[in-house]
Parts: sequence; C-alpha cells; structure tokens
Amino acid sequence: MSLLEIRDLHVRFGATAAVRGADIVVERGETHCIVGESGCGKSVTSLAVMGLLAKGAQRRAGRMAFDGIDLQPMSERQLSRLRGDRMAMIFQEPMTSLNPAYTVGSQMAEVRTRHKGGSRRAALERAEELLAKVGITAPGLRLGQFPHQLSGGLRQRVMIAMALMNDPELLIADEPTTALDVTIQAQILRLLAQLQSELGLGLMLITHDLGVVARVATRVSVMYAGQVVESAPTAELFANPQHPYTRGLLDCLPVPGKLPPGSQLGTIPGMVPKLTEDFRGCGFRSRCGFAQPACENEIPLTGDNHLCRCVLAQ
Amino acid sequence: MKKAGLYLGIAILGLITLAAIFAPLLTSHDPYAQNLDIRLSVPFWMEGANPDHLLGTDQLGRDYLARLLYGARVSLIIGVLTVIVSGVIGITMGILGGFFGGRVDDVVLFLITTRLAIPVVLVALAVVGLLGSSAVLVVLVLGLLLWDRFAVVARSTTMQVRGLDYVSAAWAAGCSTPRILISEVLPNILSHLAVVATLEMALAILLEAALSFLGLGVPPPLPSWGLMIAEGRDFMFFSAWVIWIPGIALFVLVLAINLLGDGLRDLVGDSR
Amino acid sequence: MTPAIEIRNLSKRFHVKQGLFGKPREVRAVDGIDLALPEGATLGIVGESGCGKSTLAKLILGLLAPSEGEVRVAGQSLMALGRRERAKLIQPVFQDPFSSLNPRRRVLDVVAMPLVAQGGLSSAEIRAQSLAMLERVGISAEMAGRYPAQLSGGQRQRVAIARALVLRPRILLCDEPTSALDVSVQAQILNLLAELRRDLGITTLFISHNLAVVEHVADEVAVMYLGRFVERAPAAELFAAPRHPYTRALLASVLTPEPGLGVPDVGLGDTMPDPSNVPTGCRFHPRCPVAIPRCSTEAPPLVGGAECHLLAP
Repeated sequence: MSLLEIRDLHVRFGATAAVRGADIVVERGETHCIVGESGCGKSVTSLAVMGLLAKGAQRRAGRMAFDGIDLQPMSERQLSRLRGDRMAMIFQEPMTSLNPAYTVGSQMAEVRTRHKGGSRRAALERAEELLAKVGITAPGLRLGQFPHQLSGGLRQRVMIAMALMNDPELLIADEPTTALDVTIQAQILRLLAQLQSELGLGLMLITHDLGVVARVATRVSVMYAGQVVESAPTAELFANPQHPYTRGLLDCLPVPGKLPPGSQLGTIPGMVPKLTEDFRGCGFRSRCGFAQPACENEIPLTGDNHLCRCVLAQ
Repeated sequence: MKKAGLYLGIAILGLITLAAIFAPLLTSHDPYAQNLDIRLSVPFWMEGANPDHLLGTDQLGRDYLARLLYGARVSLIIGVLTVIVSGVIGITMGILGGFFGGRVDDVVLFLITTRLAIPVVLVALAVVGLLGSSAVLVVLVLGLLLWDRFAVVARSTTMQVRGLDYVSAAWAAGCSTPRILISEVLPNILSHLAVVATLEMALAILLEAALSFLGLGVPPPLPSWGLMIAEGRDFMFFSAWVIWIPGIALFVLVLAINLLGDGLRDLVGDSR
Repeated sequence: MTPAIEIRNLSKRFHVKQGLFGKPREVRAVDGIDLALPEGATLGIVGESGCGKSTLAKLILGLLAPSEGEVRVAGQSLMALGRRERAKLIQPVFQDPFSSLNPRRRVLDVVAMPLVAQGGLSSAEIRAQSLAMLERVGISAEMAGRYPAQLSGGQRQRVAIARALVLRPRILLCDEPTSALDVSVQAQILNLLAELRRDLGITTLFISHNLAVVEHVADEVAVMYLGRFVERAPAAELFAAPRHPYTRALLASVLTPEPGLGVPDVGLGDTMPDPSNVPTGCRFHPRCPVAIPRCSTEAPPLVGGAECHLLAP
C-alpha cells in the first residue's frame, strides 16, 4: 500500500481551475518532488492533501488516501488529528507558521502533547533531542528563545524539528529552501535527505528549482497548468524527458560548465493559458512546437513507470 | 453584499448634493422670506398643514423645506472647503515628513503632536468668539485644526511608497524631487487619503452645526442646519419637528459620508 | 584608456540606535570596495543576503551617499554630477518587477519618464523614442497603453529594462533582475539582456545570488562577503579554479540539475555573517572550514584576486 495516493485531483476557486488532474503517489522512504512554475498548482495540491485549502475552494478527487485511509470523507476534526501527527508540513516562510508570541520550546512541546498527550517535560526533552538532530548547536538554549531571535536558516531547522515531533510518516515540504541563501539551502536539503533516509519518511517536496529536484528526488512529477504532465524516476526524467514542457524547462536552465558563456538559453515562447472552468486538453498546446488538433481533447497520463500526458506519447 | 454600504452612501450623498445644487428648482420659496402670519405652520403629515409649505414654516414664517435645501448647501460647502484647506496642509506636511525623514520628519511629528494636544472645539469656540462669526472664518478655523489625520496617514503611506523600487528608479532616471513627490508618490497614496477626506468632511459638517447651534458658526439669517436647530430650541416642546427635521437631515448626511468612507476603506484594502 | 566604471575604496557605514540609552552600533555594510571595469564588460557580483550587495548597488547609483570613496563613470565622479547628468551615465534594473513600476502610470509613460526628466525633447520625439525602445525589448505598441498590473512578470521586467536603456546609459546596473521570475521567463530576460549588451555595448554590473546565472552572463566575477570582495577573477577562471574558501563553498552549494550527485556538504556551519559585528582578521574565519589561528588576528593578504591567508606564499 502506498503511503499517499492521489488520483485525478481537481481543485477549483470559483471559475478558475487551479488543479485539473493531479496524480501523485508517494511511497514510504521515497522523496517525491513536484516541480513546476508559479501558478501550476503544485502548492494547491499539497494544501488539498492536508485539507488546508482556502474557504470557497472546491475539491474533487478520484481517490485521496493516506496509508490506505480515505481522506475525502474526513471531517475537519479527523483531519486535524492526522495533521501534525502522522503527516506534517513545512512551509517556505517559517515565520508564517511559527507563533511569534511563544518560545520555540513551548510551541514544539504543544505539538507533541496535543497529539500524543504525555507530560510537558517529556515533550520538551524530545524537542531538545530533535533540535540537536537537525543540527542546531546549544538546543537547550534555543528552546527558550522566540522565533524572531533566530536566523532564517535556524528557523527552518526549527520548523523541520517541529514537524518531526510526532514521528510523522509523511512530510510535505512546500518550497522549504526558497527563501534561504544558497549555502543554507544546501545544508537544509542535506539535512532533509538525511532525515528522510534515516527515519524512512515519505517526503513530498514541492519546488520550482530543477537543481534541487535532481539532487534529492527519488521520483519527479512535473506540473503545468494544473496537471501533472510527466512523472518518472529522477535519473530517467533528466536523461530522457518526454513531455515538450519538461524538455523546454530543462533547456531554459543555465548550467555551470555545460553551456558556453554568452550562448543563448532555450526559451519557452508564449504564456500560461487562463484556466477557466471549461478549459480542456493540454495546457501547454499554445506554447508547444508539436501541437496538433488532438491536443484539445482530454489527454490521459499514460506509461508504466515513466508517465507522460501528451498525444505524442501515445 | 459587501459593497452595499458604499453604494448606499454614494446614493444618499448624491441625492443630497443634487438637492442642494438644484434647490431653486425644487422649491419656489425664498429661504429668507418671512411671513409672520403663518409662523410655525405644521408639516404635511400633521393636521392643519398648509399645502403651500410641505415641511411647514419656522418661528418667522420662513418655508422650512427651502431652508433645509439651502442649508444643505451650507453644510456641503463648508465640509468640502474645510477638507480642501486641511487636506492641503496635512498632505503637504505628511509627504514631506515621510519622504525626507530625519529633521524634516522630526518637525512634522512635533507639529502633529502639538496639534493633537489642542482641543478642537474649545479653540474653535474661542477663535470664533473673539473674531466674530462668519462662514469663511468657520472654514479657516476648522481647516487649520483638522489636518492632523491627513498628515499622519500621508506620512505613513509615503514612508511605505518611498522604499519601493519605482521611486528609486525615478530618482535614478533623473527626476527632480518635486516631480517624484507629485507624480510617483502622491498618486499612490491618494486612495488612502480619500478615506481620510470622507471622515474629516463628516467631522467638519458636525462641528459647523455645533458651532452654529451655539451661535458661533455661520451667522443668521443664513440657513444652516445647526442654526435651524438652535432657533427651534424654544419651540421644541410644542413643535418638536422644528428640531428633528434638521436633526435627521444632519444625521442622514453624516451617515452617508461615513458609509462612503467605510466602503472606500474596504476597496483600498482589497487592492493591497 | 579610462575604465568605463571605476570604484575606489567605497565604504558605507550605518549607525543603528540600540534601545533608548544604548550606544549606536556601527554597521559596516560596504567596506572598502575597489573596482575598475573596461568598456563593454560584464561584472557579476555574487553574495548571500546581508553581504552588502544591495547597499553597494545603491551607492553606485547614488541613492545613498558613501561614507568614504567614490564612483567614477567615464572619468567623472558621480557625486559631483547632478541627478540628470548621472541618469545619462548609469541606470538600474531592479529585482521585483511588481514594485519597480509605478502602478498608476501606463507602460509608455513609465518608459518615457527618463526622457521627460531630461527635458529638451518634444512630446512626439519622446513618444517615438519610448515606443522604439519598447519594441526593442519585445513590448508591442499596443501594450504600451496598458498599466503594469495588466502585464506578466516577464513583460514588466522588459518594461523596466526599456526604461533603463531609453537614455542609452554607459552603465547598466542589474540588481537580481531575474530572481523573482520563473525559470522559463528568466531565460528570456537573460537572453534579452545579452542581446542588448552586445548590440549597445553597455558595460554591465550584474548582482545576483544565483551563481549559475552569473556564470552564464559575466566576463568577470566578484564574490562579496560582509561588505568586501573576497575574490575577483575572470568568470571562467573563478568557476574552474576558485581560490577563496568562501567561493569554493558557494560553488559547492550550487545544485546543478545532475541527478545522482546528492546534496554536497558545504561545511559552513550555522553562524550567519553579521555586518554590525564584523569579525577581526579575516571576516570569513568563523565559518571557514580551513581556518588557521592567524586568520582571526591578521587581515588577510590579497593574492591573485583573493583575500586569504592560505594563499600567501
């Protein structure tokens, strides 16, 4: 049984379709990266899984299950019992999820006691242990500090430690390193990768950075205009990208040492289409060099292990 | 419906403004013409009403509808002029303080705090009491006293805008400082100032009515709603409507302006 | 030949008040930067947040007055010039295309602004020149009548570039021009900048935290740490053989899209650089994985473009 199974997820905000067909399966002990540009629906997908969509959003899915438990009929109460316990989330800006009025220690302890009960003292001990585990020096001292007293990198480490308080099985990280400097980013990603393999977590990592994807993912799903357009094991995807969008995206990247300086970068002409509710078919067809009339129909995600949503792949 | 208040405010304010502008078309009576034979004749819904005077007449036999309509002119003109005077003072100070910071800002802040320490009504009463009452004086006194909120809002919004890249870009493009203030900063803080303007206008109208009620505002025989209430004071036990007709008019006008202000504030908030 | 831009011992110190009675603290945001760049060259300036690169940009543009030192463009000191004269020599492109355009102005007016400020041109000429520049950056005349809010991020950045180039400046200063954009849009903007640089022969300062982008655009790279250039070298040389330990760490932390390599250990530790408390000796020594005792006491020597004790003979 997969740890997280999402089939045919659709999310709409009023007349705008944000997600219109996301199929994502996260296995235990693997890092599944969801990559795409702004507005492609990758963050909305993660929020939909956690049941954290904004009011007014309409969600519909073929299947949405965590460890075989169907998430769809769950009440807000049942979901909140799962959240922060068996599945936890890390956001891009730690300051939005850390409460500025409480110390790091009391926030971390509260996460533990709320879900697992037990004494506050035991929870604080565990918090200290986890802070040390995420590479924070003098964890005892940090417990008594407020979020604003920490640097961006430290805050993100605290967020990770806090997410681990209840031994989650699934960790969803939404752009966890985008706000950080490159050297800190490397440290945090290294830490996440380490923890993931050590604790056997299922990690769903959402990012726009193909460099990050290449280095940490076991499997990659590329999203465009609300759909997963391609999904494959990492090495396979980078060596043999199938979807025209994935190929275009890889060509856009300046890669040190690979491209002679001053040469033209590849580009993707045009813009993302407006996703009204009656938009059908491939979202990339207006920018695609291989577009054909058949692209206006709904296209299924096909393939065995290397899935692709394109008429050319069929 | 989120914007209902805004639309209601605009509708009422529009109606009152139109009524004030077209007062001569709405009533054939002269608001100053006295006729002691028909003193205190009652409005149309009471028994024994004079069909010629819809809202009756006052203690000097002047048509009450005409006085109410022409009185709206006084309220609106004094409100608008006061906002213009105080707006020019407050916005100029606020923008200068917010943009230049440092010493300039220290001076502006000092002036704002000094102004906040002055009790508006007392000073207005004292000045008008000393110099005699006239509509121009009321506008000047209120205008010189009500600029503080303009200054505070202009200052804080200018500080936000000053740090934005388009101001830096205008600077680097060689624009002069006055040009940056007028064409880059001012248009982008105007929406916030519009909200302040509505609040100040409502306040100015109320203060004018209060001053007139005390006999220190616009001088009689000018038809002012505050003055009408004051003049009706002696007759309120037997002819209560001489008080509450202008009272309700004042209430509705101020309410409409405040609805408009609230609606504007929500709109401004939306766009941020 | 006089360099296109020359910076001598440029420094900026801020005094930050601490509490009510505390002694003001000195923040050394930029600390003795020297630089000379020949006509038409592109210098990439890389560094992490808090290294002073934004302050450096403001100093070079004249938005801030330096505490020491000067900036000379084409032999003239920028401090001595009026705002309008300066505008003809150097122009900026900022990071965030959403705050760099006045939301109340139409695209055409945004681009025309520098020309209007210069004065001396008829409105027909201004319009023609602005439209020509807009077309050059790929914005059609039809879009010139729109407001910035009606454009995409990439289009806005094109407008910002047109505004910067409409006066034909000698120097273009790009402060993280693509950091707020999606990868596919970033590629378009980088290509456009490269094309314009080639055609117009503009000398460019390109500030970025993204080393892959800097490697792609720059002829020469300066690595900034706590207000100083700790290493300066031709781009190819710097990326092939970094000398300073900080440059090495930065390069190691670049995640190229090459699967299977994993995330490298950059070994810098948690301590963040603090410009209000610059370490003695070499400013990098508290985070340096290869520091020796001398690093904490003596200022490092400048060897082959890099300031490091370990490079001393």
